[in-house]
Amino acid sequence: MNEKDKKEVLIQFKGLTKKFGSLYAVSDVDLEIKRGEIVGFLGPNGAGKSTTMKMMAHLLRPTKGEIWIRHNGELVKLTSRNKSYLLDNVGFLIENPAFYGDMTARQILSYFARLKGYPWKNLTARVEEVVGMFGLSEWIDKKLKIYSKGMRQKIGILSAIVHDPDIIVLDEPQTGLDPKARRDVRNFLIKLKQMGKTVFLSSHLLYEISEIADRIAIISHGKLIAYDNLENLELSTGRSMLNIELLTISEETLDDILQKLNEVITPLTGLEAQLSEVKYNQDSEIFEVLFDGDPKTQHKIFRTLFENNFNIISFSVPKASLLEYLFINYTDEVREENE
Amino acid sequence: MSEEKTRAKPFQVEKSKMGIKRQFSQVIDTMYFEVKRNYKKFILMLGFYILMFLLFYILNETQEAQGVEVPDDPEDYILTYLANIGTLIVISTAALGGAIIAEDFQKQTGNLIFPKISKTRLLTGRLIVRYGFNAIFICIYFTLIAYVTDYKYSEVPETLIESMLWALLYTFTIFAFVVFLSSINKSPSAAIVISILVLLVVAHVVEMLLFSMNLENEPLFLITYYEKIIPASLDMPNPRYEDVSLASPEEGEFIEFRRWITPSKIDALIGMLSFAGIFLLFAYVIYMMRQSKNE
Repeated sequence: MNEKDKKEVLIQFKGLTKKFGSLYAVSDVDLEIKRGEIVGFLGPNGAGKSTTMKMMAHLLRPTKGEIWIRHNGELVKLTSRNKSYLLDNVGFLIENPAFYGDMTARQILSYFARLKGYPWKNLTARVEEVVGMFGLSEWIDKKLKIYSKGMRQKIGILSAIVHDPDIIVLDEPQTGLDPKARRDVRNFLIKLKQMGKTVFLSSHLLYEISEIADRIAIISHGKLIAYDNLENLELSTGRSMLNIELLTISEETLDDILQKLNEVITPLTGLEAQLSEVKYNQDSEIFEVLFDGDPKTQHKIFRTLFENNFNIISFSVPKASLLEYLFINYTDEVREENE
Repeated sequence: MSEEKTRAKPFQVEKSKMGIKRQFSQVIDTMYFEVKRNYKKFILMLGFYILMFLLFYILNETQEAQGVEVPDDPEDYILTYLANIGTLIVISTAALGGAIIAEDFQKQTGNLIFPKISKTRLLTGRLIVRYGFNAIFICIYFTLIAYVTDYKYSEVPETLIESMLWALLYTFTIFAFVVFLSSINKSPSAAIVISILVLLVVAHVVEMLLFSMNLENEPLFLITYYEKIIPASLDMPNPRYEDVSLASPEEGEFIEFRRWITPSKIDALIGMLSFAGIFLLFAYVIYMMRQSKNE
């Protein structure tokens, strides 16, 4: 890493470890997050995502290891003594936000901004500005108990950014939201990135992560098992996922089509036959197949399908499917190792 | 808009807002927030105190109209308003203090709040406001008593102020007990109900039990015993106990019981401050432990 890159590191975990009794919730995690990037933090339930974020928020103390946060140009080790000012530059949303229902969004957000030292003179304008970012201006003076779950979640996210920090840490901000609210949150996070903010985001929703994250950290059984951008993760496994959508498929013809697809595609994927079996996803009505990730292979498969008169209406390498594959692949490896 | 223009300016920490000044401002901000959160309860409980005062006033006026003589001494007249002061204090402290810690566990607001403020400062801000509200009730109640006493007797005994100060200290002690109960309960409702039951019912039964056991030692270990100094301080009795003779079932025999009227001033001061300190310390430690366990 060159000197310029080092300067851009805003958060650094060094051998971060948390033990509960004899159980390692987080084990020896090393991670760097650079200025202006969105880092997705993926892991199955109980993998250690929330514990890592709570240690960063100083809600939990690490058993071992250190957290470093950039402050006034220097990386500074987070301790009990400096947490109050070091964490001023960080906004947190840890797990589900629970609010006092009798308060309004304006009152809650003003209070949280003040706790972080946001100046009085700009407070009203700032709170109105952030509430407007989610299109909730009409609701700003209404009590939170009448908000929908999605709206409360949005206020939770706003509570993390209301004091205008550089670093925003969000623990599963899209869980339990409907598709529209998820899209709103996704667009909001992209807007934060455009504003130069750094976002550290955990989620189960692979599609959401694949759409917005610059880099992805995968954690399983407390261990960081992969951390890179999606393209490099893909290269490291030498595999990629191909999605094929055909014009008409009926239940009667499905088996025949699957058999024919396997006959023409499997020899071309560049992978062992057992890995490159074509599968049909009934929910999305899409055929999925792994290949070696080489664009030439991708082109060869497309040309072969075309020559064999398959009525293709969509042929793509979607990030979410790939991420799902990588996620399962990586976490399964760790699970097998642990067993 | 270019990326350069939309890029946020580097975060600048205002040094003037750090350290003790920041800690102080967080407590003040918490107090401001607490006032907004609890003002409805405040108005409700204030109404309750005023209503109780009016009921005592109407009772006194009705009795006077029926020919019952008005007490000669203003102290005796004031006592009629202080007959249930302990009950009032228990109800208002439970209403305002029952949720002070328990609500964070019930609503799981900790994850949202504690990255922003320490538990100590949050609790300090809450304690000041909620005790402050209770102190205002007491001050207003005693002011009304002073006003009506002055109207009736054209004088207000100076001991009324002393009585009010004891009432404020007793309120603080009871409030600390309620905060302690709030720290060991997950539900604010449970904390409120248990506080009222323990302080009004259980303590009363224990007091009767002690009386029937004919203990000569003063029951300084009983938190509700200190309530007695509020009316007693108007005209401190000497001795501070009375021996009551009750007829035994066996003919011609009497059994003597000692009933303690009030603790001494020094015992009351030490006792109430000790109780308050212990309960607040326990509440704080439990609060810290439960939050670190992330309940």
